[in-house]
Amino acid sequence: MIVGGAPELRLPVLAASAAATATGVYPGQSLRQAQQLCPQAAFVSVDPHDVERLRAEVATALGGLSPAVEVGDEESFCDLSGSHVLHRDEGRWAAAIARVLMETLDGGLPAVGVAATRFVARLAAGASEARHVRRVPAGGEAAFLAPLPLGMLPVDPAIGARLAALGLDCLGAVANLSPVELQRQFGAEGLVLYRHCRGEDGGGLFVDTGPRRAVERVILEGSVADLEVLRFAAHRCATDLGDQLRSRGMVAVTVALVLELEEAPTLSVAAPPPLPAGNAAELWVAVLALLGEMRPCAPVSAIRLEVELRTAAGRQADLWRGGDAQREAVLAAAARLQRRYGETTLRRPKLAVDPGDIPERRFRWEAPMGAPKSGTKAAGRAGERAGKAHPGDGLTARSSTQPAQKGKVPWSRSPTAKQPGRGHPRPTPAVQETLSVCTGRVHV
Amino acid sequence: MHTETRGQVLADTVAGLQRRYGSAAVRRGDEPDGGERTVWSTGIPALDRLAPGGLPRARVTLLQAAQAGASGRLTLLQALAARASQEGDVVYVDVAASLDPGFLADLGANLDSCLAVLPGRGRWREGLAMARALVVAGSPWVGVALGGERCRDAEIEQALNGLVEAVHRRRAVCVVAAPAPATAPLAYASSLTLSCLPAGWQESHGDITGLRVALTVSKSRLHPPGATDTLLLCYPRPYAAAAVLGYPTVMAPARSGSSDGGGAGRGLTMVDLSA
Repeated sequence: MIVGGAPELRLPVLAASAAATATGVYPGQSLRQAQQLCPQAAFVSVDPHDVERLRAEVATALGGLSPAVEVGDEESFCDLSGSHVLHRDEGRWAAAIARVLMETLDGGLPAVGVAATRFVARLAAGASEARHVRRVPAGGEAAFLAPLPLGMLPVDPAIGARLAALGLDCLGAVANLSPVELQRQFGAEGLVLYRHCRGEDGGGLFVDTGPRRAVERVILEGSVADLEVLRFAAHRCATDLGDQLRSRGMVAVTVALVLELEEAPTLSVAAPPPLPAGNAAELWVAVLALLGEMRPCAPVSAIRLEVELRTAAGRQADLWRGGDAQREAVLAAAARLQRRYGETTLRRPKLAVDPGDIPERRFRWEAPMGAPKSGTKAAGRAGERAGKAHPGDGLTARSSTQPAQKGKVPWSRSPTAKQPGRGHPRPTPAVQETLSVCTGRVHV
Repeated sequence: MHTETRGQVLADTVAGLQRRYGSAAVRRGDEPDGGERTVWSTGIPALDRLAPGGLPRARVTLLQAAQAGASGRLTLLQALAARASQEGDVVYVDVAASLDPGFLADLGANLDSCLAVLPGRGRWREGLAMARALVVAGSPWVGVALGGERCRDAEIEQALNGLVEAVHRRRAVCVVAAPAPATAPLAYASSLTLSCLPAGWQESHGDITGLRVALTVSKSRLHPPGATDTLLLCYPRPYAAAAVLGYPTVMAPARSGSSDGGGAGRGLTMVDLSA
């Protein structure tokens, strides 16, 4: 079985069964090539919604066992450093993760590898059999890697070819070389190569702290055109969502308010709050500002509050170093302000390498977010993701799907409207949440 | 009982003095300051003399032009930002649309530590709101350059109050450069107001090489106001970096025959005391 779609399509292979893989099919290959290699395979297309749902389930399941989870298309990484109250050692912990993953995948057979580094854990999982845990003890990385072929190295194929031309046929042979020699031959890549071959790559987890969404929807009994009733319903949404945020230690970085109108297009306004909202009071301030911007031209049948969530703290700050988390917090605030006020409002000046004679060319402006460092790669990804369009019902930042109509009185205070809290139509909250993430094989 | 009464009277008197003259006017000798410095040393001796120790943390310092036209406040603000960038992250809110990063580099700034906020000319409210957000996020030093475009007091009052509160809570250094005349909310929010009055161009061989600025402490909630000093803002020239020097303290009669400048500076030799 080959997953990715019909072979006539110009699409890559997303996944392949073991039998297909044995014929040379691999993820990323074009479907046409895969068909030539394995003509008897059944080609299956994927439903993106089902994939998203499955990833969300897997991420939730793994997140319940491991504090840091990185998920990919065919592999996931979990951080098992430290201690766990329920599992005494890493082996039991990894087995628990494998069990949870099997239950979540409903029959999937994950292979699990446990090692001190990311690269070794991936290879250990690859060397493991399905439903088994392969553990590489600390200090045994070099011995484990030594017999593996050079093709396992995540390096440029040209470098691999040069290594093979030098007569090196396994990782152990490369590890026995001097790092100075490797650096002389391949430059900075040579040192990376040396560390990989000795199992000292040091690559950590890129924890996915990408956006998550939470939605609170209140259906109003009958259609409502009373400002106070709408305000009450919005306040209820904000209170419920704010309590969730506080209990989960997350903050809302984008708030969208949607009014579902009776016999009229949906009206929505979205904007990032000036400061991340982490509780009901902070969220209510943002919601109230959005509510003040909305001018519905028809009675409202339901009100929906959508927030994009992030974890409040990206990582544990170094308490012994003053201002350790300060720079990251300032950059996060800068990203928020860029989304609110525009991309060009925050810049970091940089001196030009070749300034020339014109004063304006002495410097150039750069985005404030620099290249992500270790441990902050997820933030970079999140930043990219934040720049994409909102997946809601046509929501765009600071835009209303229906402009206010002049000359119309949008709000009317209905004398027969029930007072909030006294026989007010009982709202029916429906919480929906979408998490970004994974499938497949777990490398621990 | 008698001792308790005397202690109560003393405490009431101290509280009254602090209410009237500021919290720093009367202080116990063993009063802890939380382990944090209450001032930020600017590295410019003349300025550190005007505001003893340096500019106050957790408060707003205002560089106020004394009259319309060139006053040197923006150059001084950029010099302070350059100095601060050598110690940590700096946010420069450029509402005046006058920021020249090349000039910042000439002043010795570490541009990697500088974050420029460019809300657009005259957009005071947006600039102050963005400054507040960055201070809340943890930025330890923020400079706000306000331009000549006027803004209604009511428009900026809320944003300014938010900035003052954030600066106080995060114990940040906040320096605002504003044109003349001062707006009422800004004048009220400032804890230290330095009035910048141009005292003439500094010339050398017919070229303008700098600006002399008379600084006066026109308002201070920390120290008695009224102190005056003059700074020399040296513009960058080929083979000479930009600098801010205390003018009266760095000029000495020329003995070697080499003179620098004409006008008031003729016959005087410049000595950089800040080095």
